[in-house]
Amino acid sequence: MRDVAVVGVGLSKHVSKRRDVNIAELVWEAVSAAYEDAGLTPGEVDGVITGNMPAFEGVNLPECWGAGHWGTYRKPLLRITTGGTTGGSVGHGAFYAVASGLFDTVIAIAFEKQSDGDSTAGLNTVILADIAALLGFGVDPSLLLAFGGGAVGIAVYQASSYMKSSGCTTHHLDKVSVLCRTNAAKNPHAHLQQPGLTPDDVAKTDLMQYPLRFGHVCPASDGACAMILTTGERARKLTDRPAYIRSVASCSDEGALIGIGGSGTLNVDPGRQESCKLAAARAYEHAGIKDPRNEIDLAEPYAPFAHQLLMFYERLLLCDEGEAPAVLNSGSMEMAGELPVCPSGGVISTNAIGASALERIAEAAMQIMGRAGEHQVQKDVHKAVAHGWGGMVNLNVVAVLADTPRG
Amino acid sequence: MKADEDLQNVGRVGLPLAPAFNWSVGNWMEQFFDGLKERKIMASKCGLCGRVFLPPRMICERCFAKTEEWVEIPETGTVEAFTAAHVRVGPDGELADLPEPQLIALVKHDEADTLLVAGLVAKNASAGMRVRVVWNETPSGALDAISCYEPMD
Amino acid sequence: MNKEVAVIGYAQTLYEEDADASREMLTLRAAREALVSAGLKREDVSTVVTATNDYLDGRTISNMRTVEPSGASQKDESKVEMDGAFAALYAIMRILSGFHDVAMVIGVSLASVYATYLPGIMILDPTWDRERGLLNEVSAAALQANCYMREYGVSDEQIASVSAKNLDNAARNPLALRQMPGLSVEQVLDSRMLYSPIRELNAWPATDGACAVVLASGKTAAKAEKPVWVKGVGLCHDSYLTERPLAVMESLKLAAEACYKQAGITDPASQIDLAEIHENFAHEELMAYEALGFCEEGKGGELIESGITQIDGGLPVNASGGALGANAVCATGLARIAEAAMQVVGEAGDHQVPGVKTALAHGQSGPCAQDNVVFILGGD
Repeated sequence: MRDVAVVGVGLSKHVSKRRDVNIAELVWEAVSAAYEDAGLTPGEVDGVITGNMPAFEGVNLPECWGAGHWGTYRKPLLRITTGGTTGGSVGHGAFYAVASGLFDTVIAIAFEKQSDGDSTAGLNTVILADIAALLGFGVDPSLLLAFGGGAVGIAVYQASSYMKSSGCTTHHLDKVSVLCRTNAAKNPHAHLQQPGLTPDDVAKTDLMQYPLRFGHVCPASDGACAMILTTGERARKLTDRPAYIRSVASCSDEGALIGIGGSGTLNVDPGRQESCKLAAARAYEHAGIKDPRNEIDLAEPYAPFAHQLLMFYERLLLCDEGEAPAVLNSGSMEMAGELPVCPSGGVISTNAIGASALERIAEAAMQIMGRAGEHQVQKDVHKAVAHGWGGMVNLNVVAVLADTPRG
Repeated sequence: MKADEDLQNVGRVGLPLAPAFNWSVGNWMEQFFDGLKERKIMASKCGLCGRVFLPPRMICERCFAKTEEWVEIPETGTVEAFTAAHVRVGPDGELADLPEPQLIALVKHDEADTLLVAGLVAKNASAGMRVRVVWNETPSGALDAISCYEPMD
Repeated sequence: MNKEVAVIGYAQTLYEEDADASREMLTLRAAREALVSAGLKREDVSTVVTATNDYLDGRTISNMRTVEPSGASQKDESKVEMDGAFAALYAIMRILSGFHDVAMVIGVSLASVYATYLPGIMILDPTWDRERGLLNEVSAAALQANCYMREYGVSDEQIASVSAKNLDNAARNPLALRQMPGLSVEQVLDSRMLYSPIRELNAWPATDGACAVVLASGKTAAKAEKPVWVKGVGLCHDSYLTERPLAVMESLKLAAEACYKQAGITDPASQIDLAEIHENFAHEELMAYEALGFCEEGKGGELIESGITQIDGGLPVNASGGALGANAVCATGLARIAEAAMQVVGEAGDHQVPGVKTALAHGQSGPCAQDNVVFILGGD
């Protein structure tokens, strides 16, 4: 197997509305930053992997019109889109492109310009046909109201389920928001930067749907992320400290949007996320990691909702199930902690949906390369895990990065 | 297969969905639109290879460089190709017959390197013919400022 | 490539105008039959790559409902939002990486449930062309056809003879939607005009259907009953349609060059026994002849006139009927791979061409064939 490493990362600034640029131009900002970071030019890249959430901006196959801005002129290009996991899937695609030997150096490009479209309407298309069908069968419309909240409607059931199984309280959720948003304050690319935020501040935000308050939920961002991957051999020539992607794995579970409002079915509980555990186990095995709890130095779980940071910390096999709230209280997840979590500020601070899961990999790579600037964690990062979540609550993608290639 | 036989007469539901889109066009297209409102055709030019983009693009795809230079393009150009449309795509997304065929042309403006698509009003249209812009007398904005093309002579 | 990846199974559903089935049911049917064809069970598959499009499905994350019917539950699943032929390339990458052994690739769509031409319009530049309201897949293709005809003096009759050939071939393919045995050039030229020179019979038919292909690593494929080896792959993206010369398919040419290099093809017209080309419109097949090096630039019209690409000619193209015979978007290019493999195995029935050892399969995506992917498949 061929070694694959990240040699450059680029992000646009993420904000609610970028009216000065169109989709293609916004993405260019991240792409050019990645080239600059890698010290490469588009002529030195032989493939492009790209993706975003297609329905959100109302532009089908946006690379057909926009990719001219991304240095893709007459290059091989693959479009990979898988919902919330899109960015991760794009990163995985770029990994496989190099690992396959078919390509030597590729750029992964993922983005979302949520202000151009209607993300909640976009997300609701996931289930609108089902709603229409249920109404047609005579199901009481009042029972279907819970469908209306886009991703939040699903997340509250997941949060309640997780809280019940773990003993996580709303106070823990407040602390997660504080952890992420204060980290985000150190990340110049992050969207919601709230230095000095306290759990009390979060607890005072409006309740959306129990148990989630506005302070527990991601913003809708305009933003893009690009990452340049190459062979281990070439990476060592380009930089002293490349971030090797040791393995990637994704796992698709049974869809959990079947119950009323996404409450799950008898056999699928949206708070279980077995597919995340399976993907993590496979990724660690391929990466040669036997004891993730002790070997992983940093985690970037995909957590647009506060409870998910704790839930996925567990499902990424970084502690026992139900232990994450205690790990949070211990301070271990902080920037100066033993296993820092989301030093980027995470998805709860910045969510350009299609880009978000690639940004998890990008942050892990930057931390390993020592290029995270103000949000560089204190400890030396040798091994890191990056995650993405999405689909019908059922898709999970995991990547394991390290400062050395697979043995 | 048995399972398939049990699954016949599949129901269909319509999607009552009308999401709103609100695309940012970006500063380059804004300048183009501002020009069109004054009946000026503004294109962006790559400082490295000299390619002139119409409509303007912020980045030259070949050089991966910002196109910082602006040039005003003549109203005249050449028909690269045209098609007689006997149908159009209706609001239902299906092809509907037009009462009269209408010409659609792919036009290379003088001094530009990329192409514009617009209607063509000409009795004896031919590829390679010289055309000029017919401006819309009552445009609702920049998008319909160029009404169509007509022959130069 | 030397015996690193092979097609070991394939299946297509019946292509219909209005199938009494959901996408999930078509996916299940194709996946199940492809596994039977490969002699494998669901457990043997380690990764599934689907090709669907959210606009064709009318919902975002179009792959999430294909997890169960494609057999991807608890497997490593991904989705390429292009034609299934591009998904096949991704599956090949996954196998070549050494991380996966057997991959299932599925492309599916149901034209009967989406507004046929809206998804194509939504691809256009949203800051300009889309709002101007003149371009769509067919009018854009018509402009390309006119550029091509003008540049090389290709005639309406030469383009119509592609339709006559493919739709006659389709009559021998029991799965094809538009079967027109004995169709003449005159009949094609008498069909309803859409955008000149494109007439109804020069354009793809809206189709419901699915195609599945099973790919395996060299080690596993060597044990398969009828492995069809992937000898080369090539992929390329071109500029937006108003920013490139439309009279040539430059990205197809570059994709073919990369593919031929891997496959050791130096003289495509003599080394390739059969080609399955993804021609959404008849003129695209002629342009593809040139880009694929079957003839010199501008000689596509002469090549079809020579009869070489007829089903009984020296280099049959689209013995299956091609995309003009059936075009379930996202399945079409993948079906070209399935058809090419089927010809190499010798299972193509009434449209079997004798002695196919090396076959070419092509897939495209985007307006005016903006993205192209090419495969060379062979028996040993």
